[in-house]
Amino acid sequence: MFKYKSFALRKISGVGVRYLPFADAASDDVPLSRLLRLSLFQVTVGMALVLMVGTLNRVMIVELRVPATLVGVMLALPLVFAPFRALIGFRSDRFKSALGLRRLPYIFKGTMLQFGGFAIMPFALLVLSGYGEAIDAPRWIGLGSAALAFLLVGAGVHIVQTIGLALATDLVPEEDQPKVVGLMYVMLLVGMIVSAFSYGALLENYTPGRLIQVIQGSAVITVALNFFAMWKQEARNRARAMAQTEPEASFAEAWARLTERRGMIRLLAIIALGTAGFGMADVLLEPFGGQVLMMSIAETTRLTVFLACGSLVGFVMASRWLGAGARPIDMAIYGAMIGIPAFGLIVWSSTLLSVPMLLGGTLLAGFGAGLFGHGTLTATMRSAPREQIGLSLGAWGAVQATSAGLAIAVGGVVRDAIVATEAVGASASTPYTSVFMIEVGLLTLGLLFALPLRGKDAGRSVDDNTAETSYLSAVAERQGTQQPFAGGRTS
Amino acid sequence: MSNDPDKVWPTGLTLREAEEVHSYLIDGTRVFGVIALIAHILVAVSTPWLG
Repeated sequence: MFKYKSFALRKISGVGVRYLPFADAASDDVPLSRLLRLSLFQVTVGMALVLMVGTLNRVMIVELRVPATLVGVMLALPLVFAPFRALIGFRSDRFKSALGLRRLPYIFKGTMLQFGGFAIMPFALLVLSGYGEAIDAPRWIGLGSAALAFLLVGAGVHIVQTIGLALATDLVPEEDQPKVVGLMYVMLLVGMIVSAFSYGALLENYTPGRLIQVIQGSAVITVALNFFAMWKQEARNRARAMAQTEPEASFAEAWARLTERRGMIRLLAIIALGTAGFGMADVLLEPFGGQVLMMSIAETTRLTVFLACGSLVGFVMASRWLGAGARPIDMAIYGAMIGIPAFGLIVWSSTLLSVPMLLGGTLLAGFGAGLFGHGTLTATMRSAPREQIGLSLGAWGAVQATSAGLAIAVGGVVRDAIVATEAVGASASTPYTSVFMIEVGLLTLGLLFALPLRGKDAGRSVDDNTAETSYLSAVAERQGTQQPFAGGRTS
Repeated sequence: MSNDPDKVWPTGLTLREAEEVHSYLIDGTRVFGVIALIAHILVAVSTPWLG
């Protein structure tokens, strides 16, 4: 008789670990190709951001004729989840898994949510806009399903980005972290640029069918890229899988432990101020160029390109300087110091009506934003003890995403408020320049917060881990990350 | 590998590990199911295909 059992056993053991989704060992040197692959999750994050903030913003208002305020509310919904990033990161740090995983399950779930949101989004939008027979359907179906779709995508993006960054931090030694941060930012930018162009080209001739294809195509690409990105990245950790008896720390305790580190609260405040300072003008630059400097659409698009190019250069230079031994907090300070005159130039360009000056200011602002973003994220990564990486990156994400979102909203509101109160005949530039002046103020405030950190050796002070040795699992965890979860080999 | 009594045939996973893998599969299936259901309802609202 044919021996099914031994046949199956032979087949399965022949498959080996080659086809398993986890790494068989956390090696000390992670090759660049693997980091490059991991950074693909940032491409999907960028794709989702562009689709929601850029493309759908327009499609919903122009093609689907949804009221602008409703669109604004829908697009702001994902922001609700931003503060929960800290909680997600914390849960991931403490995740109980028999497999010894703690990042992959979260990236998987986040990807599922993002996919699910994209999968129902086009139909939700069509129902919301009253397409076909949906005009007779009760209003709450469209509202509820569109809100659900945006919430799902938003939650997915928050989870994937937080845990993906935590996984990247887990993988590399501290001296390589600047490289990883640079890579992550560049890939986010690449994802945003590529998808902005592709969405523009794909939706050139809008039809409802094309909308469904594009959004659901994004869903499939998201799943494909994220699965490819996380494949074989996280090593299984036997020590963590076995340590089921360790005391359960509450979120409040863990948060208190994180924030009592010297400079942590200050760092988060700097991130909030600087992100808001750099981000407030993101959506106002193009209308500013168009209305005040009378630039054509092609020219205002160049503003966004210049901003992105500046950031790209900023990320690359920050990676290089940090790799050469510069301190992250200095990068953030330089970024803010470049940002202040950059927005000054932009304001000044409105009185001189000088397009080259606006372009130069925009390029500088992008460069400053790149330095600042890189410096603060690297500082956050270094400030966290190994077992709290998820929590501290969650805190970074929560602060960063919330303040970026609020800044865009506040910028729009301030502009509209000034437009509404302005007497007829007043200069068209006032609403914009006042927003840019607010940005200068925020950056100055952030700079003032950051300067004291520079005096006392702050780049290092937050990452000396001596205070943590009392903590039970710190040592076990630290060793654990270096040990392979090599089933038979350890026994 | 085979001398560990916790590990079960044929995968070599322990029972808890196997249950965890299974839970991800079940979660994924549930999410897919609910999403598909919602998507079908929404399509039916805008372009009724049930008569």
